[in-house]
Amino acid sequence: MHNIWLIAKREYLERIRTKAFLIATILIPLFMGVFVFGSGYLANRTKSSAHIAIVSTDASFSADLKQELQSGKNSGMRVDLLAPTSASDTDEIRANLDRNLHDNSGDLTGYLVVTSPSQSNARALFTYVPRSAGDISTEDTLSTAIQNVITREGLTHQGMGSTDIAALMAPVKIDTSKTGDSRAAFGAAYLLFFLMYMVIMLYGMNTARSIIEEKTSRVFEVMLSTIKPDEMLAGKILGVGAVGITQVGVWMLAAAILGSTSLATGLIGTGHSLISFTQIFFFVVYFIFGFLVYSSIAAALGAMTNSEQELQQLNMFLVIPLAFCFLMIFVIVHAPNSTLAQIVSLIPFCSPLLMNFRISLTTVPPWQIGLSFVLMSLTILAILWVASRIYRVGILMYGKKPNLPEILRWLKYS
Amino acid sequence: MPIVELQHVRKAYDTKIAVADLSFTIEPGSMFGLLGPNGSGKTSSIRMMIGITVPDSGTVSLFNKPFSRDLLKRVGYLPEERGLYKKMKVMDQLIFLGQLRGLDATTASKRAHDWCDRLGITSSIDKKTEELSKGMQQKIQFISTLLHEPELIIMDEPFSGLDPVNAVLLMDTLIDLRKQGRTILFSTHRMDQVEKICDNICLIHNSHLVLSGSMREIKSRYPVNRVLLNFTGDDSFLNHPTIHSAKNYGGHVEILLNDGADAQALLADAVRTGTRITRFEVMEPTLEEIFIEKVTEGSTGIPAGEKVNA
Repeated sequence: MHNIWLIAKREYLERIRTKAFLIATILIPLFMGVFVFGSGYLANRTKSSAHIAIVSTDASFSADLKQELQSGKNSGMRVDLLAPTSASDTDEIRANLDRNLHDNSGDLTGYLVVTSPSQSNARALFTYVPRSAGDISTEDTLSTAIQNVITREGLTHQGMGSTDIAALMAPVKIDTSKTGDSRAAFGAAYLLFFLMYMVIMLYGMNTARSIIEEKTSRVFEVMLSTIKPDEMLAGKILGVGAVGITQVGVWMLAAAILGSTSLATGLIGTGHSLISFTQIFFFVVYFIFGFLVYSSIAAALGAMTNSEQELQQLNMFLVIPLAFCFLMIFVIVHAPNSTLAQIVSLIPFCSPLLMNFRISLTTVPPWQIGLSFVLMSLTILAILWVASRIYRVGILMYGKKPNLPEILRWLKYS
Repeated sequence: MPIVELQHVRKAYDTKIAVADLSFTIEPGSMFGLLGPNGSGKTSSIRMMIGITVPDSGTVSLFNKPFSRDLLKRVGYLPEERGLYKKMKVMDQLIFLGQLRGLDATTASKRAHDWCDRLGITSSIDKKTEELSKGMQQKIQFISTLLHEPELIIMDEPFSGLDPVNAVLLMDTLIDLRKQGRTILFSTHRMDQVEKICDNICLIHNSHLVLSGSMREIKSRYPVNRVLLNFTGDDSFLNHPTIHSAKNYGGHVEILLNDGADAQALLADAVRTGTRITRFEVMEPTLEEIFIEKVTEGSTGIPAGEKVNA
């Protein structure tokens, strides 16, 4: 026990003193926050500022559309109105606009041609020619604006007053102040998911790297002349894990403090704290389990390889289960309590990410949480058993990378 | 009571036999040299003595007890491949390694300071290990082996990579330790280096034991029939009947005498013919010569069957 403690202590102190630890502690949540909230913010707040031209003979329609596009809810476009006098004039205008689009110095984003219907009750034809084919957002904005204008015209046609129309067309507001902003809650859950993914990956790899470092510097041979390989492995995992918990602890503390201050409410705009105490608690617990599962795998990988490069080739064993979790979050977001969501969140390799994610989104029955703990514990024991055997033999092996039959043979060595 | 006893120890890695039927004992307070060329099985043997690997067959005893990990507390081991934590500071590292061997931090620190002083590296104790030269790192590793004052010191190639001054410094340190009653085992492929400091040796070649026993006894098995001689003047004495063969390097001659011949007669003859003698040394064969002789005769000497089944 004393030796395990010594190894863990050294590992912890040496790691926590590094600049890399300090940088990761500050930068990772910063990046995650900017990524999750920044992308949401941008998607919500940016108005389309495109410059388009409308070619239409229907002056009142194009004026309405211009009004909608310039001062609508999501757009602040610049709009030029062009009214052709004849069919040949239309062709000429279009040719001019095309030249503008093909010219690099042209300032048009695209132009819309409205062709009046041949029959009076049919819809007009809308042709949009963009500068770049992939510009979906302008197209979407246009489509919504046209829809609004047509609806408004139709309603006016039916004899409705403009105030009535405005009231009818006003966006619906759903009051979620009782439970907090659900977008923000989803954002927070997403943030935690990313953070968990990052730390499990980071600290799993750190365990493997630390083993390879000892292997290449040959320190372990000195160590093995005094202590058992199992003690070394245990001390290493505990030491690296303690660094991870420290880091996660700092983050969670910061989140708790930030969440309770006015800054967070100002940012999110509701009185509910962004990340709850329950979420923090489960994050720490699932991090511990997740770290143990993945660092045990990483320890075995580290013992099998001789260099970081070789480790890179094998780290798919860590990445594949984690990537699988990424795919599964879409299932869980839409139906956090579906059978599929329940099953995948109980898979021990996925529980740390997916069960924790579900807990953030919905109320998970306690037995499922308990079951995930039991399954993860059993998995950890099994992996550790295999890993310690591979470790014991592997750290003494240099040169050639072992193949599968050799590794299986290692398991039989006592 | 032997400190180390190996009985018919054998170790094979897949198809390669690393150690075949090795037996020897090391008496307390002696300096034991495990000698042999590169790849002869020295490191494999040592690893089995300290439990890093387990022999396929045969037994290892330490301090007159069957091997167990508890006994390692009384052993200090310097591996052939030096290894230290590169990023750790020298003193932190020494204290950590001392603690692993059961010392408390204060004792470890005190002894580490004493040793650094003795080996002249006090100025480096606050540096990171990776900033030091290879020789310095080797001294640090050497110190880490001795911090817990082990009764048995095992060193795998302790002098490799050291300049002559430091090699002598470490050799003198080992001799001091032996005087204090410690038992020292070291391996080396430089036989000339150890000839004067070893009490007992064990020579291995191609994973087989070639020769073992006390240095004095081994040497006494060979006749004192070599003469080293420096001279100026007449070289006609080189035709003296006592001489079996002679290599004359122009003033420096290496002579092999006939069996039973007396070197004194040769000296007298040389002096009589008026040759000036500046050096006249009668000696037994060197360890290296004995080894080469053993190995060349050994290619037929080791029974073929032993190689397969041993």
